[in-house]
Amino acid sequence: MLSIYYGDMPEAIYNPAIYFKNSYTDDWITDELSRAMIQDVDKSTVLGPRVIDSPVLGGISPRELSGGVKTLISIYKVPSKIFNASTCGDNCAKWILKIGELQNITINLRHLMDFGEDEFTARILNTEQIVHTMDELVPIAGMIVR
Amino acid sequence: MKGNYRVIVSNSNIRYDFIIRRNITIIKGDSATGKTTLIEMISEFYESGADSGIDLRCDKPCRTLDGKDWKVILSLLHETIIFIDEGNVFLHSTEFAEAVRDSDNYYVLVTREGLPNLPYSVEEIYGIRYSGKYAGLKQVFNEFYHIYGQLDNREPIHPTRILVEDSNSGFEFFKGLSISKDYNVVSAGGKSNVFAYAQLYADSGVLIIADGAAFGAEMDRIMKLIKQKPDIVLYLPESFEWLILKSGIVKTENLNDILIAPENYIESSQCFSWERFFTSLLVQVTIGNYLKYSKKKLNSVYLQDAIAAKIVAAMEKIDL
Repeated sequence: MLSIYYGDMPEAIYNPAIYFKNSYTDDWITDELSRAMIQDVDKSTVLGPRVIDSPVLGGISPRELSGGVKTLISIYKVPSKIFNASTCGDNCAKWILKIGELQNITINLRHLMDFGEDEFTARILNTEQIVHTMDELVPIAGMIVR
Repeated sequence: MKGNYRVIVSNSNIRYDFIIRRNITIIKGDSATGKTTLIEMISEFYESGADSGIDLRCDKPCRTLDGKDWKVILSLLHETIIFIDEGNVFLHSTEFAEAVRDSDNYYVLVTREGLPNLPYSVEEIYGIRYSGKYAGLKQVFNEFYHIYGQLDNREPIHPTRILVEDSNSGFEFFKGLSISKDYNVVSAGGKSNVFAYAQLYADSGVLIIADGAAFGAEMDRIMKLIKQKPDIVLYLPESFEWLILKSGIVKTENLNDILIAPENYIESSQCFSWERFFTSLLVQVTIGNYLKYSKKKLNSVYLQDAIAAKIVAAMEKIDL
């Protein structure tokens, strides 16, 4: 299940891109879900654990993936840690929901990420409320973050 | 620093071309749109110049700022456009806001977080827009006549309730105007309270009037609320004082030029945000005459029919 803590959270990893750079291993990149996230968000194709084909940058290493994808993969591969997911754009939201369906994760959000029109399930840790739509989430989270 | 500056950054893969107009510019948006790539290219050009293979053209020096020593480095910089990527924890600190306050630099900040300590404009929040290998900046929040919301652009807005951001002269003006009218006016008592009040009045409809020049940090959550509650409408002139200046009731040299391109007249080290400049200008040009303006207490002359009508007329597409 996806749990979200809104606002300042000192125990969260504020800059997931740095954590990713120093923590990832080859299997993080070749994992099926990682490949799908890289393809969808970065529009880039994993050719191998150390080479990714980017339509803009050409052949790149995992270190040159977007900050959003680095955060998604970190959340997915290290669910025991809490990452600042405000480094993810709204185009990462569906993947955060997907990871939350596969395993228990807690993320820190410092802005109102748009989780889209469809129903979802997330626990807001600040208020211990469970929400299923943006209509439910915005009035609660909007009182905590901008 | 004053003025607007075109920044062109390119390498063999991509070319960014955009204009920076104010002391604080925000870049946000989806992941993988090239925000970090832009910052890295500016950083690499700053370190290695043309040897980097990057071409950077701008009338002012451009550089990046990051890390724990940001404050020391910043103290050495003047008349520079400074780019800061997300992931720098100092961005939302009061210490950083204080450093920006009296600074003669311009700042381009990559972040999705609202930064309530920084009074940035709703008009200077951008995403990156691509066309092939070319990238520019596109405003995130679309407006017409400074009005934001889910609107039929053709019809004037006739509110039943107005929520005014402040409790000073702007509020007193709209409150005074509402006497014997069919709408009521309430004060939010500060921009950070606007979201809570907007929720309270969302279902019955409300026109929110706030200073666009400093409302940037509030925009994301308010616009997400408006997405669900279409009867909320935002009217965001630069400031109430800007509205008075625009109405034509005061005359001063260069006023039209100032209103067309304020960036050419506003020194960033003296004005944290443009609203302060417009307040200062209005106070200055009305000293010693019947229109003497004070932000704290509205001069009742502004509520006289002929003067009030001119100010209201400056609010295009708003029917009060």
